[in-house]
Amino acid sequence: MKFKVASKILDANERIARENRKIFSDAGVYVINLMSSPGAGKTSLLENTIKGLKGGMGLGVIEGDIMGTDDAVRIENLGVPVVQINTGGACHLDANMINEVLGDLPLKDIDILFIENVGNLVCPAEFKVGEDIKVMILSIAEGHDKPLKYPLMFQESSALLINKVDLKPFLDVNVEKIRRDALSLNPSVKIFEVSCRTGEGIDQWIQWLQTLTS
Amino acid sequence: MHEASIVGSLLDIAVKECRERGFNKIASISVRVGKASGVMPEALLFAFDAMKAETIAAGASLAIEEVPVSGYCDACRADFTVEEEFILSCPYCGGSSFRAQSGRELDIIELEVD
Repeated sequence: MKFKVASKILDANERIARENRKIFSDAGVYVINLMSSPGAGKTSLLENTIKGLKGGMGLGVIEGDIMGTDDAVRIENLGVPVVQINTGGACHLDANMINEVLGDLPLKDIDILFIENVGNLVCPAEFKVGEDIKVMILSIAEGHDKPLKYPLMFQESSALLINKVDLKPFLDVNVEKIRRDALSLNPSVKIFEVSCRTGEGIDQWIQWLQTLTS
Repeated sequence: MHEASIVGSLLDIAVKECRERGFNKIASISVRVGKASGVMPEALLFAFDAMKAETIAAGASLAIEEVPVSGYCDACRADFTVEEEFILSCPYCGGSSFRAQSGRELDIIELEVD
């Protein structure tokens, strides 16, 4: 016999994501799901952000990687509470992975929690983890064709950081095209051009972060 | 790329729905997959065939209905469907004040049980 089922396949994930969201909002934590390709500069952006805020705000970080703890060590060296999740092969973080580590963070002391997703321009955009907003980084070395090749992440993100702009003189990349295509996919996306190496543009990003939680 | 975790959730839901109705064998599962969901039907079928063994869906088939990407334009009030996986502008007026209507689906719609 046949019967109808009306169920979202990712319902279990979305339910846990809503639970996480409630825990975060009850504790007064604003959560940013940070996504990009491998090597675009997620951890470097976090290092710059931590230094730029100079203790003016309580920060926390969840690091997601397939394996290893290099990123967590970089954050820990700056004195910010950090938890490393190793996904053991999974290409994205999901809500349950976040739920399992919530007890390891001092949520009461955290104003903004960054969840650094696994480096991947595709899958992380499809799984909510309990965040307030998604933010993505695209480094200009990846090329100006990326928004139209990987539209979902650009559509889902509230802000796009275009990183490594100090490399402009060495690359045949059209940064205006990145902007134009990202805005076509997502007219409300906030765009920042930054260099985590030179610090260019980081101030504007930090000012925007401060407006989110004020 | 993560079709295996999606098939894991799909099997969990199907097995639970089947057992709750007092059946012990799934013959087929029908799903609806939006073209903008990021899920490739071929990869979903491959993962399903690999993962269904040793479940009550071991003999089951998977029927996938693909849903095209459609939108509604607030400027010219047109409903439209596109071939691509994303909408850049309204195909009628070229405007950017459109809302996506379909294409992100990832739903189980029907089970056949024995």
